[in-house]
Amino acid sequence: MSQATDLKFLVVDDFATMRRIVRGLLKEMGCHNVEEAEDGAVALARLKAQKFDFVVCDINMPNMTGFDLLKAVKGDNMLKHLPVLMVTAEARKEDIVLAAQSGAAGYIVKPFTKATLEEKVTKIVQKMGATA
Amino acid sequence: MTMNNGSALAEPKAPAAPAAPAEVFQQLGLITRQLHDALVQLGVMPKLQQAADGLPDARSRLNYIARKTGEAADKVLNSVDSAKLEHTHISEATRRIAADIVADPVKAVASGAVMNFVNDVESATHRIDLHLTDIMMAQDFHDLTGQVVAKVVTLAGELEDNLVKLLVQAAPPEQAHKVELGILHGPVVDPEARSDVVANQGEVDDLLASLGF
Repeated sequence: MSQATDLKFLVVDDFATMRRIVRGLLKEMGCHNVEEAEDGAVALARLKAQKFDFVVCDINMPNMTGFDLLKAVKGDNMLKHLPVLMVTAEARKEDIVLAAQSGAAGYIVKPFTKATLEEKVTKIVQKMGATA
Repeated sequence: MTMNNGSALAEPKAPAAPAAPAEVFQQLGLITRQLHDALVQLGVMPKLQQAADGLPDARSRLNYIARKTGEAADKVLNSVDSAKLEHTHISEATRRIAADIVADPVKAVASGAVMNFVNDVESATHRIDLHLTDIMMAQDFHDLTGQVVAKVVTLAGELEDNLVKLLVQAAPPEQAHKVELGILHGPVVDPEARSDVVANQGEVDDLLASLGF
């Protein structure tokens, strides 16, 4: 079974500060292979160009929202296996249900703690190992 | 300006394009006049104008807030990175000197390793203290932006009031309470007062669990 520390992450958020915080938290979890993208469009291009194992994604972004990125990933045969963890300030139940129905692997509302991120990433990675 | 001949306006000598029916212009003029009169009667026109004039100012204030908060976040994260490096250095040096003392206490002291360690710790803690001070000082953005936010909130409130008045008057009754569902709403300021949002991560997990996730 793969460990989170072995995986390559893509952190997608239009706020550089938030990308840096998520990257820092992943680093503290031992995940050093982390890249960043500033919106869904940039992320999708990067996902098609390189191999990633895990996507941590905001929802409210310019150019291409997290929902659109999630749908694009799940609609692409080459990418649909990728787990997408939504990390967002969108707290409406409607958005959470939509994310789940669109294939999100998890949903975290901002502000969040390191423990929450660690718990969700670990849980998703365990599930990946179980289904691999 | 005086007009000598009113009919000159009604019947242009050489129109560049085929003339539209006179009734159309008449109707347009009437609608424009009614709209203007309605806005003046509602009392929103001068206030709306005043509020709209304030928008460029609000935009620059919001840019200021974005810049200040961004700078503060960068400063804090840089200081944390530096302090963590110092901390890692102290932890490693402590483990080394402990091993040296256990192995040969006399040699550890006589070789100066213990005193070097003490000096090292003193320097590192001083640098960490400076980083902590930087983090504290970076919070000054809160005071500065708080004042600016208050002004923007006042302006936004005035603009909202006037626009709502205008919308209520202009919208058909069946459309008045419709909400645009396509937009993303961002952070929820008052989750306790709403039933359509979650208040914390526990509620997210419960909702997802109820859906079988």
